[in-house]
Amino acid sequence: MTQTTDFGDALLLRRIAGGDEDAFAEVYRRKHPAIYRFALHMTGNASVAEDVTQEVFMALIRDPHRFDPARGTLGGFLFGVARNHLRKRWEQDRRLVAFDGGADEFPANGSSNGHARESIARGGLNGGGNGRGLFVQAPAWDEFAATETVGRVRQAISTLPENYREVVVLCELEEMSYEEAASVLDCPVGTVRSRLHRARAMLVEKLREPRPVRRASAVGE
Amino acid sequence: MDCAQFESIVHEIERPGTEGFALRESALQHAELCDRCVRLMIDAEALDAGLRAVMSAAAAQKAPARMEAELIAELRQRRAALLGRRVRLQIAALGTAAAALLALGFSLHHWVARTRDVAARVASPPAQNPVPTAGAAPNVVDADDSEYASFQPLPYADDPSTIEDGAVVRVEMPRAALASFGLPVAAMESDGTVRADLIVSADGTPQAIRLVSQSSTNSE
Repeated sequence: MTQTTDFGDALLLRRIAGGDEDAFAEVYRRKHPAIYRFALHMTGNASVAEDVTQEVFMALIRDPHRFDPARGTLGGFLFGVARNHLRKRWEQDRRLVAFDGGADEFPANGSSNGHARESIARGGLNGGGNGRGLFVQAPAWDEFAATETVGRVRQAISTLPENYREVVVLCELEEMSYEEAASVLDCPVGTVRSRLHRARAMLVEKLREPRPVRRASAVGE
Repeated sequence: MDCAQFESIVHEIERPGTEGFALRESALQHAELCDRCVRLMIDAEALDAGLRAVMSAAAAQKAPARMEAELIAELRQRRAALLGRRVRLQIAALGTAAAALLALGFSLHHWVARTRDVAARVASPPAQNPVPTAGAAPNVVDADDSEYASFQPLPYADDPSTIEDGAVVRVEMPRAALASFGLPVAAMESDGTVRADLIVSADGTPQAIRLVSQSSTNSE
C-alpha cells in the first residue's frame, strides 16, 4: 500500500478544505484504486465497490477535518471509512455478502504477472508432487488456468466471515503490515495476526474441497 | 522446532517482519523431516500463489474515470456554497459592526449631552436662591457670584468644579445635621429644619452644600 507522509496528507487535506481541486485530484488518484479494490474484494460487486468508493471521497469532500494525522495515515483513514460504509450496506442488505458469480464481476484475468504464475507452479498447483495440493488437476499453464485459479481463490475469500475476509484483503491483497491493518480495523496487532492465521487456514480448507461440477462441465465444454 | 510451533508460523514464513519469517530457516529444516508439516507448508505456499494471482488480476482495477469528474464537480459546488456562506457571514458581521458603532455613537452623544446638562445645572443654580437672612447659617451667598461660589464644600469632599457627573439636590434636613457637615451651628439655633441644596456626585456622596433662605423657599 502506498503511503505518503502524514505531513503531506495533512497539507493536502487542508488544501482540499479550501476547495483546491488539484489537491483533491492528487489524493483521489493516489488513494482510490486501493479503496476500490478493497470494496470490490469485500463485496465481489463492482457497482457496490463504485458506490462505496464514491461515498468515501464524498466524505472527504464534506468534512476533510475528520482526518486526524495523529491517529494514523490518510490511507488508513480512508480504508476505515470504506469499511464503515460496507458494514452499513451489509446491515441494510445482507444479500451483498453473497458472492455468486466467481469472477463474473471481476475482469478477465489477463493481467496475471509472471511472478504469480511462477509461484503457483513452484507452490501447490501441482500439489508439490504429492497429489495433495490446493489446485490439483489444474489444466496446462494457459490463460484459462490462471483465470480458474483466480476465480477459485476469489470464491473462497468471498465465503469467509467478514472479520476474516477483511484481514485477508488488507494483509494479503493490499499488502498491508499487521500494524497498518490493525490501524484500519481498530483492533490490536495480535488480533490481526490470529485472524489472518485462522483465515488462511480456512482458505486452505476451502480450496482443498473439490471444484463444483458446474465448473468441471464448463471446462469440458 | 516442533510441529505445533511450525503450525503456528507456517502462514507467515514468507511475510517479512513477522515471527514466522524470523524462524524461516528452522521451519524449513523441520519441514524436511516432517511429512505433515511439509504438506502444510506446500499448502501455504500454494495459497500465497493463489492470493498473488488474485492480487495481480485486480492490480489494474480502479473506479471509472467519470467518478473523478463527478467528485470534482461536487467539490466545486461545495466550494461555491462555502464562498456564498462566507460572503453572507461577512455581510452579517459588517452589519452587526455598523449597528454596534451606531449604538456606541448614540450612547456617547447621550452621555455628552447629559454631562453638559449637569454641568449647566451646577454652573447655573436656581435664581430664586436668596441671600440668607441675618442669623441664618453662614456661607449662604449670592448665586450670581461665580460658578460654585454659593456652595460650601463639605469636609473631605472633592472640589465641586472637578465633579464630572453630579446633581444638585434640594433637601430639608435637621438644622443640627449641619454640624455633621462641619458647618458652625449655634447651640440655640440647632432646633428645627433647614432647606439646602447639595451637590451630589455620581456615587451619591454630598460634595457641597448651599443653604436656601426661608423666604426663597416660601416663594416657591
